[in-house]
Amino acid sequence: MRTAPIPLLLVVEDSNEDFEALQRLLERSPIQVPIQRCVNGEQALAFLHRTGNYSDICFSPGLIVLDLNLPGTDGREVLRQIKQDDNLKTVPVVVFTTSNNPKDIEDCYRYGVNSYIVKPINFEQLKRDVQTLIQYWFEVTTLPEHLEY
Amino acid sequence: MADEMIDLTNCDREPIHIPGLIQPHGVLLVLQDAHLEIIQVSDNTEKIIGHPPEALLGKHLSVLFDTKQIQKIQQCLTADFETINPLDLSIKHGNKLRYFDGIIHHSDTVILLELEPKKVKQKADFVDFYHQVKGTITRMQKSVTLREMCQVVVQEVRRITGFERVMIYQFDGEGAGCVIAEDTDLAIPYLDLHYPSSDIPKQARHLYTLNWLRLIPDVNYQPAPLIPHNNPLTNQPLDLSLSVLRSVSPIHLEYLHNMNVTASMSISLLQNQQLWGLIACHHSSPKYIPYNIRTICEFIGQVMSVELANKEASEDIDYKMQLKSLQTQFVEALSQSKYFLHGMVQLQSQLLNLVNATGAVICSGNQFIPVGEVPSEAEVNALLNWMKPRLHHSLFATRSLSQDYPPSESFRAIASGVLALEISRVQHNYLIWFRPEVIETVNWGGNPHKPVEVLSDGSLRMSPRKSFELWQETVRGCALPWKPSEIAAATELRSLIVGVVLRQADELASMNFELQRSNEELDSFAYIASHDLKEPLRGIHNYANFLMEDYAETLKGDGVAKLQTLVRLTQRMEDLINSLLHFSRLGRAELMRQPVNLNELVQQVIHTLSITRPQSEIEFRLPQTLPSIECDRAQVNELFTNLISNAMKYNDKAQKWVEIGYIPQEDTSRQPIFYVRDNGIGILEKHLDKIFQIFRRLHGRDEFGGGTGAGLTIARKIVERHGGRIWVESTPKQGSTFYFTLTAEAIT
Repeated sequence: MRTAPIPLLLVVEDSNEDFEALQRLLERSPIQVPIQRCVNGEQALAFLHRTGNYSDICFSPGLIVLDLNLPGTDGREVLRQIKQDDNLKTVPVVVFTTSNNPKDIEDCYRYGVNSYIVKPINFEQLKRDVQTLIQYWFEVTTLPEHLEY
Repeated sequence: MADEMIDLTNCDREPIHIPGLIQPHGVLLVLQDAHLEIIQVSDNTEKIIGHPPEALLGKHLSVLFDTKQIQKIQQCLTADFETINPLDLSIKHGNKLRYFDGIIHHSDTVILLELEPKKVKQKADFVDFYHQVKGTITRMQKSVTLREMCQVVVQEVRRITGFERVMIYQFDGEGAGCVIAEDTDLAIPYLDLHYPSSDIPKQARHLYTLNWLRLIPDVNYQPAPLIPHNNPLTNQPLDLSLSVLRSVSPIHLEYLHNMNVTASMSISLLQNQQLWGLIACHHSSPKYIPYNIRTICEFIGQVMSVELANKEASEDIDYKMQLKSLQTQFVEALSQSKYFLHGMVQLQSQLLNLVNATGAVICSGNQFIPVGEVPSEAEVNALLNWMKPRLHHSLFATRSLSQDYPPSESFRAIASGVLALEISRVQHNYLIWFRPEVIETVNWGGNPHKPVEVLSDGSLRMSPRKSFELWQETVRGCALPWKPSEIAAATELRSLIVGVVLRQADELASMNFELQRSNEELDSFAYIASHDLKEPLRGIHNYANFLMEDYAETLKGDGVAKLQTLVRLTQRMEDLINSLLHFSRLGRAELMRQPVNLNELVQQVIHTLSITRPQSEIEFRLPQTLPSIECDRAQVNELFTNLISNAMKYNDKAQKWVEIGYIPQEDTSRQPIFYVRDNGIGILEKHLDKIFQIFRRLHGRDEFGGGTGAGLTIARKIVERHGGRIWVESTPKQGSTFYFTLTAEAIT
C-alpha cells in the first residue's frame, strides 16, 4: 500500500478545452492526483524554478505533462531546459501533443523525454490513454523523491 | 601515300646538325672554354688563314691573333653574341694581313669561332647599315596588305643581294609551302606553286627557327671535315646547329641541284616562335654574300616577322568587324535567354555566318538541332564520339575530315570541313560547324607524291624531288581552311556560352536553395495546420461526449443520436486531415530504394488485410512469383495495400477475387509492368481520369466500407516518386485492373 502523499502533476497546456477534458478524466480516476496547470512555457519554467508568482511555493511536481505547441516559449524549449537542469532533470516529463511529426518525436526523445503520447481525437481512446498514464506513472512506477522544501 | 611516309621518316631522321663538316668558304676553330686553346679545326685552315691544322691544334689562340684581338674575343664571350657579331679580325700571314668576319658562339662547353674572309678591310658601319635598311623598312610598313609587303621584301632583298630569284614561301597548317611572292628575271616563275611539307623535314624546320639566316654560296663545294672528327672533350660529334658554316645536308644539295640552283640563301620568317615562312634566294652560279649584307637581310626578315601579325590583323579587317558584330548579337541573345539552347536557336543564320559555315549542329543533352546542311543525326553522333578524344582545348578543327575519319567519306560533299566546340562534356553540349568540299586545283612544284626512288637492289632510297615543273593535282575531300579569326570567334563564343551556363547554374543553385527552404516551411506548415485544425476538432469531439455522458437523460434518444453524428463527423474530419498530411509528406520524404522481394511483400499485405477484414471472403490469385526489385519498401507496401484493399472493398460479387501479377517488358533489363486486377464493380469510363484526384469519391460515404478518397492519390504519388506511371483499365460491373511501373520508362 502506498503511504507517501501522491505527488503533484504539472500540466502545461494552453488549450482550455484540452485541459478540461484531461481534468475531467483525472478527476474520475481512482487515484486523486493534485494538478497544477500552467498555460504556457514561461509560466511552467517560472513554476519549476520558483520565480515570479511562484517564489513562495515549496514543492516540486512528481510528473510533468507537457504540450509541445505552446504560445511563446514552446514545449520543446521547456523540455530542453528541464532536462538540462541538474535539479529538474529527474522529474519525468510526458509529452502530450497533437503532433505526430517524426521530427518532433525524435527531437523529444533526444532531449530526454520520458514518454511521448499523441493526443487522440477518439474520446474512448482518450479515456484509456489518460487512465493508463495515471496508473502507470502514479501506481506502477516509483518516482524519484519529490522534493519538499 | 606509303612512299611519302618512308621519305618523311628517313628525312626526319637525318642528323643534319652534326655533320662533322663545314662549307669551305670559311674556317671553323673550336676553342676550349676558359683557356682559348684550339682543340678542333676545319681542315681548310691552310688555304684560308695560311696555317695548317697541325700548327694550330693544341695551341693557344694567340698563335693567330695579337693581344688586342684576343681581348676583343674575350670581351665578346662575356656579352651577348648577337650584338657583337661579326668581329673585325685580321691574321698575319707572312707580311700580308688577311681580314675576316669573325662569328663566335658557345656550344656546350666549347667556343666556336668561324672566320669568313673579307675582300678588303672594312668596318661594319652603322650609318651604312641604317641607310641600307631605312627605306626598305618604311616601304614594308607602308604596304597595306600582306601580299604587298611580301612583294616589297622580295624586291628589296634581291636589290640588296643581287640574287637571280627571291621568293617568299608561306607554310600552311600542315607544313606545305606555297610561293606567295617572287622577284626574278628568270623565265619560269615559281609564284603560286605549292610544295609538299616533306620538302623541308622537321629538324630542318627546327634549325630555321634557331638561325635566322642560312647561306650556301656554292652547292658544288667540297666540304671541309673537322680535325679531329669529334669534339675531343666529349668524344661526341660537334653540335653545329648555330654554326653559319655548317655543311649542308646532301639531300638538300641534291634538291637544289635539281632546281638548277648553285647558290642559295634563306631567311626565316617566324610568328609566335613558329616558322611562318621563308625568304628564299636562288642563284644559278656560285654567289657569296658578305656577313654585313647578310645582317641587313636578317634584319629585314626580323622586321617582316614582327609586321606579319600587323598585316594579318589588318588583312581581314572588314570580315573581323563583321564577326565582332555577330558576336555582339550572340552576347545579347544568350544573356537574355534562360537556356543556352534558346539563345542559339534564335540565331541560326548568325551561327553559320560566325565562322562562314554552311551547316551547323547544336547538341544539348538528347537534343539535336540542325541548321543548314548537315549530316544525319546518327552520323554526327558517331563523328562526335570519334572527335571527343581529339579535342584540343575543347576545340577540333579540320579542313579535310575524310583524311582522318574515313566514315565521313559518304558525307564529304557537305562536311569536309569541321569545326567543333565542346561547351560541356557532362551536359553533352556541343556546337559543330560544317563546310562543304571544295574541289581545288593545286599547282605543285613537281609531283609531291613521288619523292622516293626504288634502287636496283629493290630497296627504297629517299631522294629530293627531281622535277620542279608544274604538276597539277586536283585535291578532293578538302574544304576551305578555317581562318584563325574564325576559330578565335568560335572560341570566344564558347567562353560566352560557358559564362551563360555558369550563371544559369548559379541561379539554379539559388532556386534549389529557395525551393528546399520553402519545402521545409511547407512541411512544418502542414503539421502546424493539422495541429491547429485538430485542436478545435478534438474540443468538439470531447464536448459532444461530455454532453452525452452528463446529459444523456435530458437529451433523450434523438439528442444523443445527433451528438453521435457530431462525433462521427469529427472523426471523419480527422481522417481527412491525416490523409492530407500524409499525402503532403509523401512528396518530400526521401525515397529509400533497396532490393525488395515483392512476392513476400504482397503476401504480407494480403495477410494484414485479411486480418483487418476477416468478414470478406476473397480469393487471392498470384499467377506468377513476383520478382525482387529496387524500390522504397515502405512506400511500395502502402501502394499495394491501397490497391489491394480497394480491390477488396469495391466488389459486390458472391465469388470475389483479386489477382496480383506482372507483364514482362520487351526490354528485359527493365522492370515489368505490375497490375492488381479484380472482378469488382468496375469504373465508368467517364470517371477513369478522376479517380486519382484527391478526395474524389465515386461512391457514397458509407458504401463499400467508406474511405477518405486519398488512397489512389497516394498510390499515384508513390508511383510517380519512383519515376513510374499508373493507369487503370476497367469494365463496369466486371472489374478493374490497375497497372503501374516503378521506374522511369526508357525514352524512345
